[in-house]
Amino acid sequence: MKDGSGAGSLDHWTTWPLLFRLRHYATAVWAENIKEWKLELTYPLDFARSLIDPVVYLLPYVFYGIALVGGRFSPNLQKLVGTTDIVSFITIGYVFIGFMNMALWATGFSLRKEQMYGTLEAVFAAPVPRWVFTMGMSMHSILHQFLMIVVQLLFILAVFSLKVNPLGLLPALAMIGLMLIALYGIGMIMASTTLLFKQGWLISEALGGILMVVTPIAYPLAVLPVFMQKVALAVPTTYGILASRHFLMGEQMGFSVGTAFLRVAVLCVIWVVVGLVVFALIDKSTRRSGTLSHY
Amino acid sequence: MSLAATASVIRAEMVKTIRIYFSYPIIVVFWAIFPVLWVLPFLFQGKALVGSYSSDAFRQLTGSGNYMAFILIGAMVSNFVFSGLWGVGNSLREETYWGTMEYIIASPTHPLIVLIGKTLAEAAVTTGIVILQAAIITLLPFGISFTVAKVLPVMLLVVLLMVGFYGFAIAFAGFTLLIKEVHGWVHTLEWVFFLFSPIRYPVQVNPITSFVSVLIPLTWALVAIRAIIMLNQHAVGLWKITGILLAMDAVLLVGGYFTFVALERKTRRDGTVGMH
Repeated sequence: MKDGSGAGSLDHWTTWPLLFRLRHYATAVWAENIKEWKLELTYPLDFARSLIDPVVYLLPYVFYGIALVGGRFSPNLQKLVGTTDIVSFITIGYVFIGFMNMALWATGFSLRKEQMYGTLEAVFAAPVPRWVFTMGMSMHSILHQFLMIVVQLLFILAVFSLKVNPLGLLPALAMIGLMLIALYGIGMIMASTTLLFKQGWLISEALGGILMVVTPIAYPLAVLPVFMQKVALAVPTTYGILASRHFLMGEQMGFSVGTAFLRVAVLCVIWVVVGLVVFALIDKSTRRSGTLSHY
Repeated sequence: MSLAATASVIRAEMVKTIRIYFSYPIIVVFWAIFPVLWVLPFLFQGKALVGSYSSDAFRQLTGSGNYMAFILIGAMVSNFVFSGLWGVGNSLREETYWGTMEYIIASPTHPLIVLIGKTLAEAAVTTGIVILQAAIITLLPFGISFTVAKVLPVMLLVVLLMVGFYGFAIAFAGFTLLIKEVHGWVHTLEWVFFLFSPIRYPVQVNPITSFVSVLIPLTWALVAIRAIIMLNQHAVGLWKITGILLAMDAVLLVGGYFTFVALERKTRRDGTVGMH
């Protein structure tokens, strides 16, 4: 073994030139993505269900908002963030938080899934580092999530006529792209916990529950208690959602667009570095203790 | 099989299920705390949209403006439904994973008896978790109090809800024998319940959800339980709702039994019991 990232025994690739190596990784990421799509499309009924689910999931939050306000527009929300339309506000929040699943379940459980398929050892023997493999799973999850977002938005557009600024779409997607990089780092930490604890669903559920509370999905940051506001500023989903709503419907974030981009860029570096380091350490430890194939 | 032998199998299955459950005490702690945490976003959403902890629009729909109490009661009562879906509906699938499904099928006990044992164990654990949640919620300033006069009729309604729902879950367990991987379908059902029954919002806000909700026993149970706990309406409509729930229980239990037996027979005949 030549590096700590957990490469397989066929490690001659570590001596390749950087560009050639990156191409090699990109091929592996793409192959992993395609494999996941093939597996998913083997069950077409299940695939169709996965596209309808997000709409069913979103509606109770929208109806709850309407029941609270007695209509579509909230004067109190106007006072807090400068926008009144609760349907657009809630929809954008819940549509983009869907990407959190990528970190908590797709990336986090990629290795566990392979273990269930009985292919983990084969994957670990492949001549690519493990982060490449989890990135392939993430790529599939991101593409799937985009597909779900399209279905959600089409439904909401047809039923409620979403009011957003189309010019804000590109900057919103740029922010979401940055958020995804940082979420990938969190996903790597989750993946390492599944190596360690095997049944890591409890940690994913717990972390997911906490992120769902501190991220201002259907409310502005200002309504959270102060300690939660501080926690919220350390998670990338906060910036992803606040900035998306800012670009698409003019929500006042409480900080400038530049600050939002800068902060989420810093979070990207921190979460990805921490994620890769934690993963490499735990990967090494499970190999040394010989518990890799344990259930 | 004699009645005593059947009771002994049910008891053994209950003990086994509860032992497995308590082998992971952290899971019990998780289920006691996190369903309460999951409702916090609704509290913050309410605060942002309304500006206070009471909503006039909500009062017009439900009789009470205390939306937080509404959500918390929904979260607690729906625990029984979701534990039925996951714990009972998915239980035979778990046996397949553990590699013990063939033993159950080959034993001289009908799988339905085993399923009854699992159901009772699940009901006992869920009741314990809900009591723990109720204790936590009573300590928090959400305006919910549980007195004996309230708890007794609520318990009657919960029992009526569970009887019917476990009938449905038993039918669902039969489907797991047939279609095997049901994890995603359980999630879908979960969200269908969130949409079409008043767990998290008053379904009257939309005519379609309002119409569909009357077919779900959870709707009737929640309406009555909230009336008792939040509006102190002890006798109002309780007997009518009890009658409706009893009728639904009869349909779901009989339907659940026949569905399970038919699907189990089909799986045996096709020889697909041990397949994944």
